Amino acid sequence: MTGALEVTSHDTATRDTAPTRTDESVPDSLFSYRELLRLDEALTMSSRETGLRFTLYIGDLGPQTRARAEELFGRSGGDLAESVLLAVSPGQRVVEVVTGAAASRRLPDRACALAVLSMTNSFGSGDLVGGIVNGLRQLSDQAGHPRHLRPH
Amino acid sequence: MTVVETILVYAVAPLAVFLLLALLTLVPGRRRRPRYKPGQPWDHEPVWYAPHEAGSGHDSAHADGHGGARALTAGHGGAHALTAAPQATGRPHGGARGTW
Repeated sequence: MTGALEVTSHDTATRDTAPTRTDESVPDSLFSYRELLRLDEALTMSSRETGLRFTLYIGDLGPQTRARAEELFGRSGGDLAESVLLAVSPGQRVVEVVTGAAASRRLPDRACALAVLSMTNSFGSGDLVGGIVNGLRQLSDQAGHPRHLRPH
Repeated sequence: MTVVETILVYAVAPLAVFLLLALLTLVPGRRRRPRYKPGQPWDHEPVWYAPHEAGSGHDSAHADGHGGARALTAGHGGAHALTAAPQATGRPHGGARGTW
């Protein structure tokens, strides 16, 4: 497509200009575009369905996984009481769900534990994205669709 | 049948078929990204995905070429996220944890 154009260099870039599209490295080798799309869709749709704010953290959680997850939750921005953080640490094989004060009324700990159970099932077989998507779906099903978000 | 024909039919042709099948089997697997297996160390940078806000168009976010949700910075660069939310901490927290 643009291959013919790139034969002759029209490079006017300096150190201060932003990289062009062809110079950019692959944005994230962690997941493929398809997997990122699935995660994106799951996060956005579950947040929109329930009115809660779901964020997803994937990375190391340190020795105190629960404390670290709650600290991250405190920094996740937005309305914290209505937020839910899903923190996955594949290296430590730990998943933590943190819900805010208002969110925990709609998502009781028992429902979170059930979603975590289904997630760890998928993670155990190596399917990170599938587990996260299913867990988010389960959490948003449990939280339900509040009346004020329904179209009249 | 000359010697050359014999060699072509009995040696070169099977070899060609064999090589073609080997190529078809091996080449698609080369490009696959390393898959997560339980028990492996995880040496990727932490990533943090936030949902698209309800006001912003869902489709416009896809148009910019980034497939993923907007990523928050989780490391040391996330100081602005820290200062942005000094209000209610949302306590008491509920939730669950699990291991696999």
